[in-house]
Amino acid sequence: MQLLFAADPELWGIIGISFKVSMSALLLALPIGLLIAFGLAYGNFIGRRFLITSFNTLLSFPAVVVGLTFYILLSRQGPLGEWRLLFTQPAMIIGQMALAIPILVAMGHSALQAIDRRAWETARTLGASLPRATMTIMREARFGLLAALLAAFGRIISEVGASMMLGGNILHYTRNIPTAIALETSKGEFAQGVALGLVLLLMAFTLNGMLQLVQGKGRLAA
Amino acid sequence: MISIKFRGIEKSFARRKILDCVDIELASGACLLLCGKNGSGKSTLLKILAGMERPDHAEIELGGKTYSWREAKKILLHKSIYLHQSPYLFEGSVWRNLDYPLSGARAARRSEIEYALEWADLAELADENVAHLSGGERQRVALARALLRKPQVMLLDEPTANMDTDSRQRTLSLLEQLKQEGIALVVVTHDPVHFIGKGEQRLMLQSGKLTTPEEPLVAGNISELKPVSKVGS
Ligand SMILES: Nc1ncnc2c1ncn2[C@@H]1O[C@H](COP(=O)(O)OP(=O)(O)O)[C@@H](O)[C@H]1O
Ligand SMILES: [Mg+2]
Repeated sequence: MQLLFAADPELWGIIGISFKVSMSALLLALPIGLLIAFGLAYGNFIGRRFLITSFNTLLSFPAVVVGLTFYILLSRQGPLGEWRLLFTQPAMIIGQMALAIPILVAMGHSALQAIDRRAWETARTLGASLPRATMTIMREARFGLLAALLAAFGRIISEVGASMMLGGNILHYTRNIPTAIALETSKGEFAQGVALGLVLLLMAFTLNGMLQLVQGKGRLAA
Repeated sequence: MISIKFRGIEKSFARRKILDCVDIELASGACLLLCGKNGSGKSTLLKILAGMERPDHAEIELGGKTYSWREAKKILLHKSIYLHQSPYLFEGSVWRNLDYPLSGARAARRSEIEYALEWADLAELADENVAHLSGGERQRVALARALLRKPQVMLLDEPTANMDTDSRQRTLSLLEQLKQEGIALVVVTHDPVHFIGKGEQRLMLQSGKLTTPEEPLVAGNISELKPVSKVGS
């Protein structure tokens, strides 16, 4: 296995693309997801309940359907066709953002919800501005928010549906770990598929380990 | 010196009127003792006075000028501080909590925090994680933290509830100092007898109205205070 990696720079390229795309998607999705989570946790508006339920439903949305949706939007004849984004990395990033945001919102919302309302009131009465009070609450909820972040990353780094449909699996550009596995396996080249599969497995293991650690810490601190 | 007049405070939750035309005046060095049954709206009233909860209606007069809630809210948040019945301390050390309301240079903050630690008899606990503190210690951290904000009005929600005699005595003497420093105090308490003898005014919240109990306060009749006249009318 060691040999395989040493010998094959192509594999590293694929792993690099996976990380670049998923990290970008996560970083872009993060502020949007947190903002919505905050609105849902602290806002007081009509339709709040409905939105919470909607995001929880979106959690289990199949990646292929997200892929299909954006495929239609981004295809030449689609409403966003002029952007010429289909089969590019930005298209993959958009699809992965769409997968990450519901996780960030749903898990972020429950992490923020778990923080005592008195925390917000205390911050405000001690003179914190709205942005500072927001930061304070995020710090109090940091373990839960970090768990949301890890879970979102775990989902988008390993999903194949959206990446395949929106990226098109172009070598050196949009071929990432999951789409490469799908391709190699269909060609009957199991060695590469297995090697990449192991990379994903290792990552899943690491992410889960971190998640456990973070959640354990959260419990300890509470 | 500060004097804030609130007139006609109204507040409903889910169409249930919690506060019905309440008038109250806060002034430097004055201490109001507020009692009333559970759920009578005492905390709600305090949060409105602190600018943290929006009333359905209120006229707020400060320095001879009347303000809308939008303007008043800023001033109230700036000048006053609300202390929860069981204080919320931010995760981390006592020091971090005391640092929270402060801004400015590190050295200046440091000496302020050291003064507050001394004041609240917390010097030994400066680096302690707040998760390890007792109820009385938590209350004193909250008081010291509030003091560092240099408020002109302090609104205390049952500061001595569930405290042993020793903790209560310490807290009471800290409150006495605050009053002497000219801070306007409103204290919610079920045991006004502990606060007696310092020229406090007693108020009672009942069915949304603020009233003054008339009988002299002795240990026996605390629970049966009767409203007699409406304040400010
Ligand atoms: N944010 C809120 N939403 C709905 N009802 C509330 C809210 N805050 C307080 N209440 C209700 O208002 C009433 C008065 O509450 P509160 O001011 O906490 O009373 P007290 O402090 O005198 O026990 C209670 O019946 C409580 O359930
Ligand atoms: Mg209360």
